[in-house]
Amino acid sequence: MKPRLILILTLIVLLPLGALGWLGWRMAHQEREVMENRYREVLTGRLRDLNAVVQRSVEKHETELLRLLDRGDYDTGNLRELVRKSPFIHALFVLDSAGNRRHPPPEGPLTDNEREFLERSGQIWRDKQLFYRSSELAGKSSSHGWYTWYWGNGVNLLFWVRDASGRVIGAECDRSRMLSDVIGELPNTDPSDPNLQQGRIVLAGGDGVAAYQWGAYEPAPSEQPRVRVDLDRPLDSWSLSYFAPPAAIDRTFGGGMLFNLTAGMVALVLALIGLASYFYRESTRGMREAAERVSFVNQVSHELKTPLTNIRMYAELLEQSLPENDTKATKHLGVIVSESQRLSRLIGNVLTFARKQNNKLTVHPEAGNVDQCIVFVLDRFKASLESKGVKCVFTAGAGATVDFDRDALEQILGNLFSNVEKYAAAGEWMEVTSRQNGANTSIVVADRGPGIPKGQSERIFDPFYRLSNKLSDGVTGTGIGLSIARDLARKHGGDLKAVAVAAGARFELELLTPSSSQGKEPNV
Amino acid sequence: MITQTIRKTVTLVAAFGILFGSQALQAAEQVKVDVALAKPYLLAGQKQTNYLRVGLTGIPINDSGRRTPVNVAIVLDKSGSMTGEKLRKAKEAALTSIGRLGPNDIVSVIAYDDAVNVLIPATKMSDPLVLRAAIERLSAGGNTALFAGVSKAAAEVRKFLDRQRVNRIILLSDGQANVGPSSPTDLGNLGASLIKEGISVTTLGLGLDYNEDLMTQLARKSDGNHYFIENSADLARQFGYEFDDVLSVVAQEVTVRITCAEGVRPIRVLGREADITGQTVTTYLNQVYGKQEKYVLLEVEVPAERDGIMRNAAEVNVSYVNMASSSPERIARAVSARFTGSASLVEANTNPAVMASAIEQIAVERNKLAVTLRDQGKIEEARRTLLDNAAFLSENAKKYNSKELDDYVGKNREDASHLDPAVWDAQRKAILSEQNTRQGQQGQGQARP
Repeated sequence: MKPRLILILTLIVLLPLGALGWLGWRMAHQEREVMENRYREVLTGRLRDLNAVVQRSVEKHETELLRLLDRGDYDTGNLRELVRKSPFIHALFVLDSAGNRRHPPPEGPLTDNEREFLERSGQIWRDKQLFYRSSELAGKSSSHGWYTWYWGNGVNLLFWVRDASGRVIGAECDRSRMLSDVIGELPNTDPSDPNLQQGRIVLAGGDGVAAYQWGAYEPAPSEQPRVRVDLDRPLDSWSLSYFAPPAAIDRTFGGGMLFNLTAGMVALVLALIGLASYFYRESTRGMREAAERVSFVNQVSHELKTPLTNIRMYAELLEQSLPENDTKATKHLGVIVSESQRLSRLIGNVLTFARKQNNKLTVHPEAGNVDQCIVFVLDRFKASLESKGVKCVFTAGAGATVDFDRDALEQILGNLFSNVEKYAAAGEWMEVTSRQNGANTSIVVADRGPGIPKGQSERIFDPFYRLSNKLSDGVTGTGIGLSIARDLARKHGGDLKAVAVAAGARFELELLTPSSSQGKEPNV
Repeated sequence: MITQTIRKTVTLVAAFGILFGSQALQAAEQVKVDVALAKPYLLAGQKQTNYLRVGLTGIPINDSGRRTPVNVAIVLDKSGSMTGEKLRKAKEAALTSIGRLGPNDIVSVIAYDDAVNVLIPATKMSDPLVLRAAIERLSAGGNTALFAGVSKAAAEVRKFLDRQRVNRIILLSDGQANVGPSSPTDLGNLGASLIKEGISVTTLGLGLDYNEDLMTQLARKSDGNHYFIENSADLARQFGYEFDDVLSVVAQEVTVRITCAEGVRPIRVLGREADITGQTVTTYLNQVYGKQEKYVLLEVEVPAERDGIMRNAAEVNVSYVNMASSSPERIARAVSARFTGSASLVEANTNPAVMASAIEQIAVERNKLAVTLRDQGKIEEARRTLLDNAAFLSENAKKYNSKELDDYVGKNREDASHLDPAVWDAQRKAILSEQNTRQGQQGQGQARP
């Protein structure tokens, strides 16, 4: 009973827990995905804000360049002065409405800076269409815009302005300066900034290599960014990336999900364990009380054993010395003897059960005759059985001298016969059959009583289990008889089973009884 | 044939060589301008090369206790290689220097490794304790985002950008720039852009691992100083020299425009960046310090003339902002050459100071050539070039009785004996620093150990 109960209670705890855990995990997983998406959105938003910062810096350049260039002043000397004075302008050029270069002056002389610029931008002078096809310049409507081309180790920026007469003045912006100004506008690594304790934002140039970075987190060399945003024109070959360790997401969103889930699970486990142990205590209370009772009886039994033996011994002596014709006295003495035998059987059961509880149950096989033992026990019951109208039939088949524990067998049979007497007397019939096959002895005890209800044929062997029906009501018993009978049988290398039959009950007892090596005369 | 004219003038007055009566409208000029030809007497009948030198000497501001307020950003390298002694010394040096600033000065402190941390945003020197605490908290680790460090410093300086102040970034680095742009060209371009706003970058290279090409380019293109500091024990002293300069600025936005007379062809300006278009040569210095002379040296080709002719060679216009009066000033000078048949007269009138400057700049160029050869692995050729250069310098040092040149003789010899791989790293830094010092006439802190 106990292991099964524990199994059931464990299942009661584990099954809902498992189901809940799985559901929780799924939910947490989904939640995490949602959170990751939101996290990425937040980061992307942050990078877009930074893109706007960069864009403002570019616009500042743009405004300044427009102010400087859109004056219709194409005097070579003034243009040179402008290049010399403006920190944003690396070089200048002017194209007339036909697309011919007016500055740097085609007829010379040129400054070193102008010569270098013409070399650098040679591509534009070789194929002016390339320059004119650039989207904004191609549209007649726009009067200024950016043109980017690649030279050296990165993107080069040209800002052009077209006046009403179609002349184009262009300024080559210094790439280093542009980057430097952008860096100037972007945040620095402020250790007290909570936003970037666990993150790093990287501004990368066209080659993908970090040009500027900030934030306390240091990503591994091969780490992929959480999000990446390309900048707007004209710096569209640049990008911003956000790096963060996996734990950063929890920090951003409070991160309670896993903790909440774990806490919930722990609370649930505690509740379930509490519930299970309550059920367990409730269901074992009856057994506990019975066991306490037996334990009490056990102590008392030790005290009863000696006086009872004396009573039996003197009653038997008295029976022998009575005159043969004194039938009344003989009859009374018979009641004393049989009742004291019943009492000693009870005490025997209690003591055996106590031994079993203390794991001290043993058997001591000795050479003997099984049939003789059966007859001995039957003789004791004969009187009381016959008084209830039960007819006993014994078919003997185990006459060989074998090793077995006589006391154990007596106890087993006593319990079985006593059950017939208590519960199956209405069948008025008991059949005992013994058979021997090699080292096995089997004894069958069958009756024609009410039998054992379906599905209960195992549970009757549980200690203190009592079939609750009208038959057993009112019949006294400790509820341990069958239990210890089976235990003794199993100790004896066999088993005791209740076999389902059409009518009545049928108990089959198997014992391991090796043939006696001593060949000693059995004592009956 | 130099006539010194002291005059505050708004328009350029055509000066035909001579004859402007010395007339001081205002006596408080901050820059003394000396214009001279190497050879005021030239041999008649042949086309020849001559050197025109424009010397600019700062006159210390009289009013004691008054000086030009500064707007300085100190950029400290806190990369992993700075750990320990180096960073400690750097902090000390920065703190000592900041201690010299007054309540009208503006300072910002930026530290960088692979990221940049603006320790102290540009602020008036009001609370030295806060500054001290911020600098002392600094600890080292990480890479070297030099470009970003300078960019952030520029942004801080720009917050209070004022032509009436000395706007300066002082960059300390002991390593290769390895985050962000890192080529000498990129940094040079940034420097060239910053000087247009009046911001100079002084670079202090510490130890033997920094990129001297990058650091000298950045300083050169922005008209800042460069110091090679091999040992961190010298940090405080070199920081001190730099602050001596910064705190003694008397004139800023100095433009020198030389207009060569008809027929006189400007060839090149030695040792400085300059725009040459047609007959006009323009060069720009961010500032002139008190008691220090900076010069612009122009090589010209003078056409052949007959004996006895005196001709106008060039007009020189110097404009600058006087930091004492906060007003722009202009000084005009002219110089002429006389032709003679007498070689001895030519020799006797040769200006030794101008010649010494010309020899010095030519020697720097030869020294640079030697470095290029050494970089290409041609050690022997480099050694020969340096020894030849030393001989060339030695000969001229005697001839023109120049201590400067004599000094450079020894250094070229020393360079020649330090070309082996084991010592080249350190020597190359010293050489580049020396070149930079001589080209920019950097005053103190000549960084030869």
